[in-house]
Amino acid sequence: MTARHTKFYLDKQNGKFMGVCAGIADYTGVDVTLVRVGTVLLTVLGSGMTIIAYLVVGWIAPKKPRELRDETPEQTKFWQGVRASPARTVRDVRSRFRDIDRRLAEVETYVTSSNSRLAREIEQLR
Amino acid sequence: MEDVAGIFVGALAIVVLFIGLPWLIFHYITRWKTAATLTTDDEKLMEELYDLARRLDDRMCSIERIMTAENPNWRAVACDPAATGIEDLTASTHAAKRIGQ
Repeated sequence: MTARHTKFYLDKQNGKFMGVCAGIADYTGVDVTLVRVGTVLLTVLGSGMTIIAYLVVGWIAPKKPRELRDETPEQTKFWQGVRASPARTVRDVRSRFRDIDRRLAEVETYVTSSNSRLAREIEQLR
Repeated sequence: MEDVAGIFVGALAIVVLFIGLPWLIFHYITRWKTAATLTTDDEKLMEELYDLARRLDDRMCSIERIMTAENPNWRAVACDPAATGIEDLTASTHAAKRIGQ
């Protein structure tokens, strides 16, 4: 079973208590401090359900697999985008390919036209 | 009269609680299950395509850099249809002169 990128994991390394807030921050891309402040506010303003939910999530959710821990910031950002909206990520990748296609076409046009120009110039010199 | 209304309300509550609510819940459960989710293969494919796009982008950048070093206005020559000179001999010599400048 390979590690999935689109699942929720506890982030014990960056976590304060059980790593639930850090996991949420890692999953969504929201700042950790903001998540923690939100959790505390919810607990203070609402009922004690947040504490129960926190403990249940901290007990049930799996730890972050080892192979997912050492990814570059760019990869982390990419997977956060995928989790937020896979369709948008696919569109992004497609637009990148289109951009590459367009630039490659420019280079191709230049190379082929300059080759024919070179051939004609050689013809003229004869 | 009061009793009839009470029975009616009770029956309504039972119907809503035992038929309406499960209906609603299962409706959304089926909706949630049929919603498109990413499988492991999708994830792999996505990662590969993203990597590929990034690598191709890098290569394209280096090629463009080389072309610019060789001939700074190659882009203008490639974009201008008259300057490509594939069909027209005079246009091509004209473009060649312009490049020679």
